[in-house]
Amino acid sequence: MSEDAVPGTGWQRLHPATLAFAIVRLGPRTLNFLPALAAIGIAGKWVYVAPALLLFLLVSLVIAWLHWLRFRFAVGADEIVIESGVLSRQHRTIPFDRIQDVSVEQGLVARALGIAKVGFETGAGGGKENDAHLDAIGLDAAQALRTTIRAHRSEPLSAAANVPEAASAPSGEDRLLFAMGPRRLLIAGLFNFSLAALAVVGAGMQFFDGLLPFDFNIFNPMDWIDVAEGYGLDTWLVAHRWVAGIGAAISLLFIGFASGIATMVFANWNFRLTREPRALRRTRGLTTRTDVAVPVKRIQAAILVTGWFRKRFGWHELRLQSLATDGEKEKDHQVVPFGRLDEIDPVLDEIAIRRPDAGIPWQHSHRIVALGGFVGATCAALGGSTAIAFGQPIGWLAVIAAALIGLFAMIGSRFHHWSDLGDMVAIRRGFWKPKTTLLPHASVQSIDLKTDFILRPFGLATLIFGVPGGSSLASHEIPAIPVDIARDLRARILAGGACA
Amino acid sequence: MTETPPAPTDPFAHDVLNAAEGLDPVNPAYGHVIRIATALNLIPIAIAASVADRLIMPRIEGPYGLVTTAAWLIALIAIAVLPTRRVARWGFKIGEGQLRVARGWLFRTDTIVPFVRVQHIDVGQGPVERLFGLSHLVVHTSGTHNSTVTLPGLHADLAAAMRETIRRHIQTDFA
Repeated sequence: MSEDAVPGTGWQRLHPATLAFAIVRLGPRTLNFLPALAAIGIAGKWVYVAPALLLFLLVSLVIAWLHWLRFRFAVGADEIVIESGVLSRQHRTIPFDRIQDVSVEQGLVARALGIAKVGFETGAGGGKENDAHLDAIGLDAAQALRTTIRAHRSEPLSAAANVPEAASAPSGEDRLLFAMGPRRLLIAGLFNFSLAALAVVGAGMQFFDGLLPFDFNIFNPMDWIDVAEGYGLDTWLVAHRWVAGIGAAISLLFIGFASGIATMVFANWNFRLTREPRALRRTRGLTTRTDVAVPVKRIQAAILVTGWFRKRFGWHELRLQSLATDGEKEKDHQVVPFGRLDEIDPVLDEIAIRRPDAGIPWQHSHRIVALGGFVGATCAALGGSTAIAFGQPIGWLAVIAAALIGLFAMIGSRFHHWSDLGDMVAIRRGFWKPKTTLLPHASVQSIDLKTDFILRPFGLATLIFGVPGGSSLASHEIPAIPVDIARDLRARILAGGACA
Repeated sequence: MTETPPAPTDPFAHDVLNAAEGLDPVNPAYGHVIRIATALNLIPIAIAASVADRLIMPRIEGPYGLVTTAAWLIALIAIAVLPTRRVARWGFKIGEGQLRVARGWLFRTDTIVPFVRVQHIDVGQGPVERLFGLSHLVVHTSGTHNSTVTLPGLHADLAAAMRETIRRHIQTDFA
């Protein structure tokens, strides 16, 4: 361990391709320079435009080159040291002990060049600033670095005779836990039906209306009527409206399915989840391939997500909440994007969280949780009625919306369940998108018991759990349960967690 | 651990709340801290409201004086009456291996942090708090919800003593 504790010799630089990326990034930045160029041009000095542009590019390149020159990193025996900055130097040391996760990400260009971006998750709060990353190093070097860090991390603990750890690590062999083939991706994509892309396409259609070589907007029924007329169908007065309607519906469906499949394929192409001695490792992606490891010890909670429709076909999604975040957008690690429960169970086994049996007694929250929705609905209804009273028929929209909001609040209030399973709490909620959170007692850092002027007369309280990592999907809370049960549950969870 | 008899308390009696839940009250001097802080916040707002009233109301033929009166009345209540009640609704308890902090009445939050979950502790003292010899204790956990739990209105010595108590329990549970 102490061969070269001082990383004095092994300084490395980023791959020279970083410079290429810098040039690519220059493209958009040149746009900022355009007004200046225009000003020069308008002043009548057209001769100077090209030299000014060249000078700008040259200066940017030199700066990029200086940055590259002054960025170096060294891998020591138990730490990684990164030095950066041209004028103000920054020296950062990250002990391997504190690195929770090494992610390897490759975009399309990076794959062609055989380089990768390496990110270190240290769990430090405060967002991107605090997370160190190496923009571009050779893929071999990246893999070697990851192996080094991982080997270091497994060293001291295997010596400490950790029994359950040793039992669940079969001779350091990587086992495949879950994979997604093209067929599965297709099915998943079909369930991923989304009209979100529609808004984009629709806006684009509006925008490019005058630019398209043909005058046809698939969202405009009149255009479909024109088509019908073009085929001599205009005599079928009733029929061609049907043609128009069906055509529009088919195109909507097509766009929805196509965008669903496309997003699924791009994100999850060749999805593989493997069990490594100490972590779950996930590789996926068609153009941008990512390679992320989630250390098993760092996993705080499991979240099972499904949809009201896909649930009928037995499809679920598994996310794990860990101390690290998944990439820059996601808070949870999606480890099974689309799978059957019997495929998810083995993954849960690996992280020592078991899915509650079908027969367990679920307790439910008080129906008062619908109150917020009802208040919103009442406001909308009042606003709409006022508008109607003033002779604005658009107020009916608000009234209809109010009815819908009230209905959904009422239905939704029936879907707040929880159950204490001895060493973990299961929280189930949602009707449109049911989520089941499996939260081991040992992950709970603090518990809030909240009451307010509405809950107190009912003798109710809301429990909110502070869990490391944080989740965008589910704040871990059990709303509106009797205050005695809440106190009791809180005492039990904290007693269990403190002993662990 | 939290053996609190669920005694039906009069919801309008502000000083029985802590006793009913088995909590210790914070230092009453904290009321002065709240009072001064509130005054520093509200008096400028009330002055701004008065000026706006003076400038705008004559132009739009509105009732001059209404906004001014309302602003100063609200400020007066918030400065003179409410701080005592707000202090009475803060409560804390150093239990067996855990810290319990409760605050608020309309929206009451009762937080428990086990000592073993504490990452680090701050004891802070603002200029107003220093006048009254008070400190506030901030406990950091690694959760995202509730990653900091603040307990104001402690005598400086008590805050330091609590920090020592909690510090003894902090141990790394990192693997």
